Order: sequence, then structure tokens, then C-alpha cells
Amino acid sequence: MNGGEKVNRERSHGSIQTSRAIIVMTLLFIVGFASGYYTDTLFSSQTVVWKEDVAWRTESISISGSTTVLPIANACAIAFMNKYPGTSITVTGGGSGRGYSEVIDGVVDIGMASRPPKQKEINDAKEKGVALWLYPIALDAVCVVVHPSVNKTLKLTLQEVGKIFAGIYTRWSDVDPSLPDEPIYVVVREPGSGTRGTFEEYVMEPYGYDVTDAAHVRPSNPAVRTTIETTPYSIGYVGLGFVTSKMVVVALAEEEGEPYIYPSIENIASFKYPISRYLYLVTSTRPESGSLADRFIDFILSPEGQEIVEEQGFLKLPRYPAGV
Amino acid sequence: MHLRSQPIEFVLFLCASFSVVILLLMLLFVVMEGSLAFTRLGTQLILGQMWKTNSDLYGGFPLIYGSLMVVSGALLISIPLGICTSIFIAEILPFQLRDPIKSVIELLASIPSVIYGFIGVTFLAPLIASIFGLQSGATAFTASLILAIMVLPTIVGVSGETISAVPIEYKEAALALGASKWQTIRNVILPLSKSGMLASVMLGFGRAIGETVAVLMVAGNVAMVPTPPWNYLAPVYPVTAVIAMQMGEAAVGSLEYSALFGLGLILFIITFAVNTIADVIVRRRPVGRSVQL
Amino acid sequence: MSGQTGEKVIFAILGVPMLICILIFLWILSLLLTGIGTVRWELFTMSALRGGMLEMIVGTIYLLLGAAAVAGPIGVLAAIYLVEYAPSGGLTRIIDQAINNLAGVPSIVIGLFGYTFFCRHLGLGVSLAAGWLTLALMMLPIVIRGSEEALRMVPASFREAALALGATRWKAISSTILPAAAPGVVTSVILGMARVAGETAAILFTSCVLITRGLPKTPFEPVMALSYNLFVQIVALGAPAQRVFGITLVLFMIVTSLSLSAILLRSYYRLRQPWLRMKG
Repeated sequence: MNGGEKVNRERSHGSIQTSRAIIVMTLLFIVGFASGYYTDTLFSSQTVVWKEDVAWRTESISISGSTTVLPIANACAIAFMNKYPGTSITVTGGGSGRGYSEVIDGVVDIGMASRPPKQKEINDAKEKGVALWLYPIALDAVCVVVHPSVNKTLKLTLQEVGKIFAGIYTRWSDVDPSLPDEPIYVVVREPGSGTRGTFEEYVMEPYGYDVTDAAHVRPSNPAVRTTIETTPYSIGYVGLGFVTSKMVVVALAEEEGEPYIYPSIENIASFKYPISRYLYLVTSTRPESGSLADRFIDFILSPEGQEIVEEQGFLKLPRYPAGV
Repeated sequence: MHLRSQPIEFVLFLCASFSVVILLLMLLFVVMEGSLAFTRLGTQLILGQMWKTNSDLYGGFPLIYGSLMVVSGALLISIPLGICTSIFIAEILPFQLRDPIKSVIELLASIPSVIYGFIGVTFLAPLIASIFGLQSGATAFTASLILAIMVLPTIVGVSGETISAVPIEYKEAALALGASKWQTIRNVILPLSKSGMLASVMLGFGRAIGETVAVLMVAGNVAMVPTPPWNYLAPVYPVTAVIAMQMGEAAVGSLEYSALFGLGLILFIITFAVNTIADVIVRRRPVGRSVQL
Repeated sequence: MSGQTGEKVIFAILGVPMLICILIFLWILSLLLTGIGTVRWELFTMSALRGGMLEMIVGTIYLLLGAAAVAGPIGVLAAIYLVEYAPSGGLTRIIDQAINNLAGVPSIVIGLFGYTFFCRHLGLGVSLAAGWLTLALMMLPIVIRGSEEALRMVPASFREAALALGATRWKAISSTILPAAAPGVVTSVILGMARVAGETAAILFTSCVLITRGLPKTPFEPVMALSYNLFVQIVALGAPAQRVFGITLVLFMIVTSLSLSAILLRSYYRLRQPWLRMKG
């Protein structure tokens, strides 16, 4: 062996060392890297996720349903999206019926409803294997309203109202001789309306009445409001947020002999008023904790969201003292 | 239908027949979705007098009657108005004013129907209520008025085109024979444009019967035939308004959903019949087109 | 001469309806102008999330452009077929009638079909794409008829000259007639867009939502549009008249600029194409 060979062997020995080192380091790196995943799978079900869940910040959800709830959802969605850029909340109307059917079919993430589900919708959900989670977000009342020409004040029982809407009474003097002898102009909502559904549940169904053919159909709360404000001797029903000073609100009694209750804030919040109701958001599964749907529902239930509810003319949920 | 020899011609043919295909598809789907209603209700959908969604009763007669009532009212108003206007614009108005005035009238057509409805509810309905001493101005008459305004540009536009399509040689010939302007209009131009004017009326009919949003807001929406049946000062419930209001929540596949599609099919058939009749009449008078002299 | 005064009387009578039409238009315009106060520059630049109309305006434009992209080519090709190739006979008559009928289909029926076919059957859901297809159906007859007219106006000598020079039929058409008819075709597409810009019933179930963040990133997302927004504002939200008229003015501006450009195009090309002026 001469010097050259030794040098060669040394150099090759050195390069073997280096390449071995590289290989070992790479292997270590790979093992270390992979072990991160491995430990994740091993322990993830037991450990708390310690990085902040940011997925919801770029998520998008869709909402559809009741036109009564629509102004609330619209305003809250805008406020929420402005607060958290990157989130996307799509809101559209269509009626409580549509809200339920689209949630059940999975077309939207959240539905809006101004009434609890009908039996048909509950059956439908069962058939499709989904649940219906209801989140009350506001308190509302279906107010029976008349044009001031009928009288300055009006007190009726639920059944009397039912008879009016069923066409059993056709003139105001039939209801009470002190009222004007004029034909009653009955205004109702379209069949898919949650407001209509709630109204009929309390005023028509218990007595087996059906809405008269002579009823004038309107597509929304504002449309009913305009009609009642401008049509003498008219009667209709609107959500609390749509009552104006140009109409007279009827005080209702559940039955003959019971006191007539006016839909004031206290009476609605205490459910003394016969047609008090919650407004709901509906989902078909419980929203995942931390998801956008979850956070949006939380937002509406938060003080900020409830302020928006009040701005739109409805009542905050009873856990907030009425009037605060 | 034989295949065209050249591929290009075939492609062109496909594009042209696209309209036929789409029309057939439309018919197919509307019939499909409406079939439940037809099998369950039969002629009740068209002849039944009661439309009660709560009780699953879908008698569409008052609705169809309402649509036809409102459309005939609209045409009664807009046809005289529109045809006179188009004659005036095409023949009497100075040449320079023609295009601007035509454009102005066409702009009326570009206003979305919901605005017409809004104007109707906010301004027209109260006016009519006070003029006729009605409880409410939401009547068939109001709807007819609003529809007439909406249909005017169509009638004026298409009639106007027909009148200007009369070859200038005919007019020159009449003038050479010593006819006055009015005589020319009455004896030469009008007879020749008759078919085109009829076409414009049919087009107007189609637009009027299909109008949804505007009538939804002003027609009153009561599912009953007025008493007496020619009482335009009573509310009516046109088919298009019902479809628009109930479609959103009708559960897919339900009887309600199907009944709405059934009503849509009836509208479809009515417009189809009207268009076909118009087509037949137009074809009998080909003189409206250019003739080489 | 009594004949002449008689004529004047008749003309005066005929003029009244036209005056009524103009008056109606002026009345409506004055109503719309009461909303001018709400039309500020910010309306065009601010997002809907901040009270502006940016997404609705762009959304409307998206809808119109897409519908035109679908209806334009199909319409022109169909018109070429009808004018240049179609033999007179049963099938051609059927096609012709179908186009007339398509023009007459009530917009709500087109909306119903669009919903059940494009949204449900083809699975597009409530989306921009479904809106394109549905609106294209409404634009198609206008484009076909307008293109037909433009094609028919081109003197036959153009085609004959090209054929005499040995071109194939299609080459003759594409190189001489089509370019000559192009302005008329473009005009009819623009007029088609103007016609469907204010359309509500067709997009009611097929493509629109009230509020969402931003514009659709894919054609399979829903879109915000001016006419739909107007509809919801008036019917479901009960917005005040001023705001409503303000939004209408914006829509009006869009449609007017479309119609104006069509008219300008027409007049411009009328100068450049002398054969167009021979019409009575």
C-alpha cells in the first residue's frame, strides 16, 4: 500500500462517513417528521387540540326560510361578515316551509322558521334520517291588526277572530252591533308563511275553521302592513316588528270570559298574549362546535345579536330582562 | 329529419333546432312535474272553483279566469293606444324624432316588473280606490292598467317595425296616384301591416299573461271569480301570482307542487295556442315582406 | 280644402295616444327620479355588506354576459341556418314556430323549467350557471330574430360574388355575409341583454340570494342581482320608496346604456353600410 492508496481510502472513507451521516440524518428527519403524525393519530382522540381552530374563518354557510326572520338573519349576517372577513354567509327568503324542507334535504345549512315544525315536516325528517334542532333566537307575537276605521280599540276572542277569517262573519256589525255596518276586508298570507301557520294554529285549527275564499292573499309582512294601513275595514295579521301607528292592534282573549290581552312587551315575554311565539333557526344536525354555523348562532344569541333583533322590531329572548 | 351532408350545415341545423328541442324539453318537464296533479285531480285543476291549499283542494278555474280577465283588460287598453302610437311615429312624426321617441318608449320596457308593481300599489291603487269609491284599489282593473303600460312598448315596437317594413314603392305609388297621407295610411299601409300588428298583439298577450311580479302586487289576490264576472273593480288572483307565491315553499313532489306546475302547463298551452293561431294568420298574408319590383 | 283639415284632425287624434305614452313614461321617470337622492357614488363601489350595491351590479352584469355568451353563438348559428340553408318546408316551419313560441313562453314558466331542469335535474342548484342558461332561453328568440334580419339585409350580391370566386357555401357566408351582418347581430344581442336585465321571475328560484359575501367564485354559486334585490326589498323587507327607486335608477342606467350602445351601433353602421338605408 502506498500513500496514494491511503489517501484514497481515507477520502473514500471520509466520503462514506459523510454519506452515512447524511443517510442517518435523513432517516432521523423522516422518522421525526413522521412521528409527529403518528403521535397525532395515537393521541389525538385523547388530547386537546392546542392550535386555534381557524377553519371557520373561511367557511361558508347558507341560510333560507321565513320572511319574518329574514330581516334579522340578513342584518346579523352582514354584521357578522363585517366582523370576521373571510366568512361567507348566504341568506335568502322563501318562507318557513321552504326553510324546513331545505334544511331537511340538506340544501342549506340553517333554516329560518317563524313556527315549530309541522307533523309532516317531522315525518319527512325522520324518513330522511335527520333530526331537527330548533334554536329560538327571538321572541315575536302574531298581532291581529285592523284599519282604524273599524274602531279605535278592539277586543276579540280567538274564536271570534277565527270566525272573521273563516267568513262566518262578513260584516263588522255581525261581530258587534256597535261596529260599522261594512263588509270585512280579510287579508291573509301565502300558504307557506310561518306567520300564517302560527296564526291558524291558534285561531282556526282549534275550531275547525278554514280560511274564507274571499280572503286577499299577500306575500309578506310589509305587504300586509301596507294593505291594512290603506284599506278601510280591513283585518289581517303581522309579526310584532311590522305594527305601525296607522293600524289598531286587537286585544285577544283565549276564550269568552278570559281577560283581553294586548301584545305589549311584558305580555309577550310572559306568554300571556295568546299568540306569542319564538322565532327559530333550524338545523338538521347539531352544528359542530367551533364551526361557522355554531359561531353564527352564538352570535345571534349574544348581546350584540340580540340588539339587532330588537332593532328589527322583535323582542330579545326572555333571558334578557324585557326592555333592557 | 335526414342528416345534412356537410358537418357545418349539420351544426347550424342543430343550433336552429335547439329552440324546438328546448320547447319540447320544457313541455316534457312541466308535464312530468304536473302529472301528479293531473292524475289525482283531473279536470278539477282547470274547472274546480275552490283553491284551498290547507285542504289540498286545487281548483284553478278562478285563477285562470283571473289571468284571462287581466290580460284582456290590458290588451283592450294597450292595443288602440299602441297601434295609434306606432302609426303616428312611423308615418306622421318627423323623421328625426322617430328614433328618439321609439327609444323612449322602449325604455319603458326595461323597467323591472317589480317597480311597476310598486308604482301600482303605492300610487295607482289608492287613486283608483278614491275615484271609484272602493274599499281597496287592488283590483283586476288596476292590474290591467299596469299590464297595459308594460305591454305598450312591445306593441308599439313590433307594429312600428311592420309599418316601416312596408316597401316604400307602395307608398310612392299611392302618392303618385294622388292619395293624401291619411288615405295612404288607411288604404295601403294598414292592410299590409295587419299581420305584423296582429303578431305584435300576440306577443303582447304572451308578455301580459306571463307577467308575475306586477300582478302579484296589485291584483288583489282573491281566489274567486268576481261577481258579476265582468266586474273589473273586484280583486282577482292570476295564475302567475299563485305560482310565484306558493312555489317557494311547496315541497317538491307534493300535490301542491304538482298543481302549480299544472297551472304553469295550462299557461304554456294557452300561449302556445295563441302563438300558433297568430302564426297561421300571419302566414296567410306574406305581402308584408319585401317584394322586389 | 276640407280634406286637408280633415286629415289634420285625424292626425291630431292619432297623436293623442302617443302623447299619452310619452306622459306615462315621463310620470314613471319622475317617480324614479325621486330616488336620485339615494344614488351616490358609493353605491357603485361599496360592497353590499357596507350598504353598497357593488355585488348586485356586478352580479347582474355577470348574469347578462353569461347569458349572452350562451344565447349569442347558438342564436347566430341558428339564424344563419334559417336564412342561408333552410329549405322551405315542414321542418323549417316547425323551427320557425318554435322560436315564436319560445318568445311567448311566460317568464314564470321558464323560471319553473329552469328550476326543475337546470337546478334539480342537472344538479346545478341555485347558481350563476343556472341563471345563465335560464336567461339565455329568454334571450334566444330576440337574438335569432335580430340576427335573421341583419343577415337578410345583406345584399345577395355579396354571397354571389364570393361563390362566383369559387368559395364553398360556408366560406362565402363566413367571409362576406357574416362580417357585414355582424353589427346587426351584436345589436340584437345587446337588445336581448337589455330585455332580460330587469327580469325577475326567471331568476327568482334559479340563481339568486339576498345576501352573501362577495361575488360567486365559480358559476355553481348563487349570485346577487339588482332585480332580485329589488323584489326582496319591496316585497319581503318593505323598504322605503326612495331607496327602492334609487336601486331602480341604477338598474335603469345599466339598461339604458345597453340600449343606447345598441342604437349608436345601429346608426353608426347604417352609415357604413349603404344597403341598410334602402328600407322604407
